[in-house]
Amino acid sequence: MPPAGIWIDGLIQSCIYMTMAFGMVLVFSILGILNWTHGQFYMLGAFVVYYAFTAVGIPFPVAMLIAGVVVGGLGMLVEKLIIERVNIPSAQGALYVTVATMALIFFFEGAASMLFGMQEKGLAMVFPGVLDLGSLSVSYQKIAVIIFTLIIMTAMYIMLNRTKVGLAIRAAAQEPDAARLYGISVKRTSLLVMGIGCALAAMAGSIMAPVYAINPFIGRIPMIMSLLAIIIGGLGSLTGAIVGGIILGFVNSVVAYRLSYFSEVVLFAFVIVLLLVRPQGLFGTPLK
Amino acid sequence: MRRIFDYKTLIPRWIAVLLAVPFIILPLFTTNLATLSMIILSGIWAIAAMGFTLILRTGQFSLGQAAFMAIGGYTSAILTVKLGWPFWPSFLLAGVVAGIIAMVIGSVVLRVGGVYFSIITLALGEVIRIVAMQWEPVTRGSRGLITGPPDPIPLGVFEINFAVSAVPYYYFMIVLVAVTGVIFWQIGRSRLGGTFFSIAANPILAEHQGIHLMKYRVIAFTIAGVFTGFAGSYYAHFLSTMTPYMLGLWESIQIMIMSIVGGVSSLVGGPLAGALVLYALGIYLSRLPVYGIQQLLFGAAVVAVLLFMPKGTGLVDLWDKFWRKVFREPEFYEIPSVE
Repeated sequence: MPPAGIWIDGLIQSCIYMTMAFGMVLVFSILGILNWTHGQFYMLGAFVVYYAFTAVGIPFPVAMLIAGVVVGGLGMLVEKLIIERVNIPSAQGALYVTVATMALIFFFEGAASMLFGMQEKGLAMVFPGVLDLGSLSVSYQKIAVIIFTLIIMTAMYIMLNRTKVGLAIRAAAQEPDAARLYGISVKRTSLLVMGIGCALAAMAGSIMAPVYAINPFIGRIPMIMSLLAIIIGGLGSLTGAIVGGIILGFVNSVVAYRLSYFSEVVLFAFVIVLLLVRPQGLFGTPLK
Repeated sequence: MRRIFDYKTLIPRWIAVLLAVPFIILPLFTTNLATLSMIILSGIWAIAAMGFTLILRTGQFSLGQAAFMAIGGYTSAILTVKLGWPFWPSFLLAGVVAGIIAMVIGSVVLRVGGVYFSIITLALGEVIRIVAMQWEPVTRGSRGLITGPPDPIPLGVFEINFAVSAVPYYYFMIVLVAVTGVIFWQIGRSRLGGTFFSIAANPILAEHQGIHLMKYRVIAFTIAGVFTGFAGSYYAHFLSTMTPYMLGLWESIQIMIMSIVGGVSSLVGGPLAGALVLYALGIYLSRLPVYGIQQLLFGAAVVAVLLFMPKGTGLVDLWDKFWRKVFREPEFYEIPSVE
């Protein structure tokens, strides 16, 4: 049995993968595409919060919101200027969107290394101090990560289930044609959803900014991991994204405690076997 | 007589062959290592991109092509360095091993199609990288293997010696690309290519016509694996090193971008155009003094091609468009569709 610290680390990792995967699935369920640039929005979110907090001196929770708004706006711009124009209605559209968003990975990483430099930046502990629980101690920073994630996920739940906007999003995801008949602009909804998805990625990045070092390439691994989380949970299922993120976070830290580098092999092997046994993932609707 | 003046098929193809002439006589004018190695490496990437395009022809989207390059590279590196084999048999075996691994993996993984296949191949690429990093006794871990140049080929009085200059590498690359290109071109024209095309265009209809989808997908994946393995082996010996960091997910993405930007309507021309243009672009951008501007402009260039080219076409279709302009033909594109 690994020590409790490992489990808490797993919980922290679950939090980012969950938030990232949720945004990705939200975008997928409306637009029908995977946004491969998601990890780079995570990275940009971390940088925005870093500069807002250190250079301008905005309090951390407000800086997080600013990161969400800025990067969400950037995501909407990407959707409007690139994805919408590349996504031709034939079957090839998805292919071209994939290539365009993958090219944007290089674009945003290059832009970030030009603007912010290559050296690693650390945001000093925003919430200093350690909570002492006898045999176990947890830093307030890690508790803050968990609390912020809970707040964001609750806000998402309320937004999707209790407001008119959420109703429009769910309707557009389920039956785009019927939603159009009831006067919902699917185009505007997908733009909004792209903004929300990117804002979620940015918030995940800004939550983690005080815990890990920041450099232009931090987005790569969370992107791959949240892709795997989506696959485990089932493509297009929001519950699946959350459960997949939690499973992945714990497996990643608890197995890594025993196997170090080979934990990734175990992880990928697990995903491959799962896909062969249950191709639609844990919560997805059956294919065909 | 009429066939000779059939400009639609004849003139562009003749001139396409003429386009190869500058590349063949290039070493007469310059033996500059930077220029030659740029063309050699873009040729290697072009072979990998051809493999990607062939898999795409069956409607599948592989994100693990660099992993097959790594398998090929490691196979020949281990055989020559650890077991003391000569280069040529290990080069051939590299392709065979990559092909066998592609066949085994493909016959398991191709059962799930579409985006799941992409993500599984992505995961496999990462697994191979981790194994190469951790299997210290064989692969020397992250320090990598130092490979030697290919053995000299005796030709009567003199011999082709790879150790002295890059020119033999250059000509061997041209032969390799030409052989791969002719094979892929013939596959595209043959019944097999037609079958691939029909699988991508409409899998359900193809299955009802009696085409075994899995069989043909595995065939395409295996052929691509063999040639990607050759390319990887040659890559490792040209750079005279093989480390786990050389061929990962980002190289797979690069192969995919080269193939799509070059154009998927042609099995050979598209990857060649894409690899040559994008690799040369990458090299020239890397001379700029600002770090990061290279990736930025590379990404921007790819997005610009996707945005401003007619939808569903790549660089290679400019060639077609040019000749249609010359002969005032109406424009018509035949695009292979993807599942």
